[in-house]
Amino acid sequence: MQRLHARYPFLEAARDAVATEAVDLATVVEQDGAVVDRARERVVTAVEDGETGEPRREPRVELLSYPVARVLVSMIGERVLVRRYARAEAATAYERFAADFDDTTELKSVQSTDLDLETLLTEFDLTDAVQATADGYRVGVGTYLPLAEDQWGDEWRLVNRSLTDGDVPVTEDELRSLLREAVRGRIEDGLPFDVPDVIAASLEDEADEVREVLAELDLTREIDTVVPDLFPPCMKALLDDIQKGEHLPHHSRFAITAFLANIGMSTDEIVDLYRVNSTFGEDMTRYQTDHIRGDTSPTEYSTPSCATMQSYGDCVNKDDLCERIPHPMAYYEERIDDADDDDLEDWREGEGEGDDAEQSASGD
Amino acid sequence: MEERTRAYLRGRFRDHYRRTEITPPPAANEREWGFIPWTEGPDTTMVRHRSLLELGDLSEFLVRKRPRHVYFSAGRFRDPGASSMAAKDWQSADLVFDLDADHLPSVTLGEDSYAEMLAKCKDALLRLLDFLEDDFGFEDLEVVFSGGRGYHVHVRDESVLHLEREHRREIVDYVRGIGMEYEELIETETVAGLGRKTPTERRTLEIDGGWGKRTHDHLLAFVDDLLEMDEDDALDRLQEFDGFGEGKAQAALNAARNNREGIESGNVTVHTAISQLAERFASRAVERDNAPIDEPVTTDTNRLIRLPGSLHGGSGLETMRLERDAIADFDPLVDAVPETFTNHEITVDVSRGGEVELGGDSFTVTEGDQSLPEYVAVFLMARGRAEKEKE
Repeated sequence: MQRLHARYPFLEAARDAVATEAVDLATVVEQDGAVVDRARERVVTAVEDGETGEPRREPRVELLSYPVARVLVSMIGERVLVRRYARAEAATAYERFAADFDDTTELKSVQSTDLDLETLLTEFDLTDAVQATADGYRVGVGTYLPLAEDQWGDEWRLVNRSLTDGDVPVTEDELRSLLREAVRGRIEDGLPFDVPDVIAASLEDEADEVREVLAELDLTREIDTVVPDLFPPCMKALLDDIQKGEHLPHHSRFAITAFLANIGMSTDEIVDLYRVNSTFGEDMTRYQTDHIRGDTSPTEYSTPSCATMQSYGDCVNKDDLCERIPHPMAYYEERIDDADDDDLEDWREGEGEGDDAEQSASGD
Repeated sequence: MEERTRAYLRGRFRDHYRRTEITPPPAANEREWGFIPWTEGPDTTMVRHRSLLELGDLSEFLVRKRPRHVYFSAGRFRDPGASSMAAKDWQSADLVFDLDADHLPSVTLGEDSYAEMLAKCKDALLRLLDFLEDDFGFEDLEVVFSGGRGYHVHVRDESVLHLEREHRREIVDYVRGIGMEYEELIETETVAGLGRKTPTERRTLEIDGGWGKRTHDHLLAFVDDLLEMDEDDALDRLQEFDGFGEGKAQAALNAARNNREGIESGNVTVHTAISQLAERFASRAVERDNAPIDEPVTTDTNRLIRLPGSLHGGSGLETMRLERDAIADFDPLVDAVPETFTNHEITVDVSRGGEVELGGDSFTVTEGDQSLPEYVAVFLMARGRAEKEKE
C-alpha cells in the first residue's frame, strides 16, 4: 500500500498513512534531509516545469515529501504558487493514473500499486455522478460544471455539449481530464495554511529557494518583445499553420496563444497576428486569449513545457538550442538575450498603422 | 402616490394577507428575507438582512407589516440575518431563472400591451422549461408568475445547489445559446478510404442532445419541407440563404433527395452544401429556441426573489406558484387577480387612463373621478396612475 500512497499522496488513505507513520512533521523537517530535499524538488519543479519531478525510490521519503511540500507552498503563501503547485501535482497524478488505467495486465499482484478508475471515482465521491456508457461516460451536469471550469477549449463549454436529461456525455480521455481537475481541487483545498514557527524555522532555506525561482519566473514573464523570427521552432510552426488558415487541435492552439500572451502580447495584438488568414476565428481567439490571461477564468495559464509539447506531437524542427532548454519560453528568452538589442524589431512596431492605432499595450 | 392611497393599499394588502395562507420556501430559516414598506415617494428602501427568526411567523409578519414587496434569498446561509454577505456564510443556493418582458427581444416596449408582453413571456417560459426539464433533467422545479412582467423558475435539485457563480453562467449561456460553436457540435471520425487513395473524414452532427439535436431538428424539418415542394419552389427557398446560388441550391436539393437518411443520422459529409445548411441552422436554432433569461438573476447566488403568494406592490397582482400542467392555460391577467379585490367597486381619481385588460375584461379608463372594480383601481393606484378618491 505504501507504494500506492507514495504515487498518489493526495488520497485520503495516504493522509492516514502519513498520520500513522507516527512522526510529527516538525521532527521530519528537522531530521530527514531526504524528505525535505524531495519536498523542495516537488515545489521547484512544479513552478519551473509544471511537473513534480522524479519520484524517490523509497516510498516513505516520497510519501512524506508531499505534506512537507504543502508546508513549503504555505510558507510562501502566494496564490500563483498555490495554483502552479496544485496544477503540477495534478498533472503528475494524471500521468500516473492514466498509465494505471491503461495497464491491462491480467495478473496484477495483490500488492499492485495501480489505481483503478472505480477507486478514484469513489475517492472523490463521484460514483453516482459518473456512469459508464457504450462509448464513454455520462457525467451529471452539477458535477461536470465545476470540474470543467478550468478546462481549456470551447469543446468543454456546456453550450457545446450534448446535454441530455441532466448528463453530459464525455469520452474516456475527457473523464480523465475531469478527474485531474478533481485532484487539483483536492490539492488546492486548504492551501495555504498557517505553518507553525517550529516547522517553518527548519525550512527557511528551501522556502528562499522557491521564492527565488518564483522571482525568476516573473522576469520571464516580462519579456515583452515580439520577434517572430526568434520564436522556438514549435511556436513558429504553429503560428505558420494558423496564418495559413489550418484548423489546429485545441492543445496546439492553446500552446501558441499562451506563448504569445506570455511574451506580453495583448488580445488585440494576437488577433492581428493571426488575422493573415480570414478564417482564423476572431471571436474564438479573443475568448481563448482572455481565458489564458485569466480575465475570464479563475486561472492564468502558462505556456506548456517542452515535455508537454512533445507528448502532444507539437514539438517539431528541434534545433541545437532546443536540446539545452526545458521550456519554449526559455528558448525564446535566450534567443532574445543573445540578440543585439538594436537589431530587434518588435513585430508590433511595424504593424502600428491602419486600424491598429488604438491598440492597448497590455490588453487588460 | 398620496398618503391616502398608500393607506388604502396598506389596509387592503393586510386584508388580503389575513385571508391567505402563504407557503414559505423550503429551508426558510436559512434564507435572508427583505421587504419594501409603503413609503412616500418613488424611491424604495429595502429592509433586508433579516432572518425569519427576526421576522417571526411569516403570516403574522405579512399581516403586521403589510409590505409593498416581499423577498427571500435564493441563497441559504449559516447566519442569514448577519449584516454582511461574508458573515452570512453562504452554504448553497437555489438555481433561479427570471424571464422579464422588459428583456425579451420579441417584445416591443411601448407598443405591445401588457397582455401581449406577458403572452410572449409565457412562450419564452415554455422554451426555458424545455431546457430545464429535458436537457438538464431537473425534477424539483417551481414555476412562479412574478406578479409583474414575467416568470421565475426556482430549481432546487440537490445536484446544482452547490454551484458557484461561474458554473451558473455556463448554464445561462447554455439556455441562451451563447458561445455555441457549430464546429464543436460536430464529431469527426476518419474513415478508411473506400476505393480512394486517402482516408476521408466523416463529420457527424451530435444529434443525441444539446444544441446539436436542436440544430438537427430544424435542419431535418427544413429538408422535409423541401422534399415536399416542387423543384422551382425548393430551389428558390434554398437560394434565400446567403451564399447559396443556383449551383449550390441544386446540390443541396439533390443531396436532400438522394441522402435524406444520411442527413437524418446527422451525417453532414453527404455534401458540403448540406454542411453549410447545417451551420446556418445552428444559428437559427439559437435564434428560435433560446430562452432570453436575465443573466444576473441566475448567476447571483445571493439574489433576493419575490415571495410566491405575496402581492406585487407595483400591480396589485398575486405572485403565484403554478402547477406544471396549469401553465398552458394560465392567464396572469385573470388568474393572478387576488380574490380579495374582486367583490366590489371603489372610486378613484385617474391621472393616466387608457386600455386596461384585467380580470377577463377590457376597460377603457378615462381620466378623472370614477368608480371601478377594485382590482382595476388597485392596479392603477399601484402603477401610480390613479389616487384614492376621498370617501
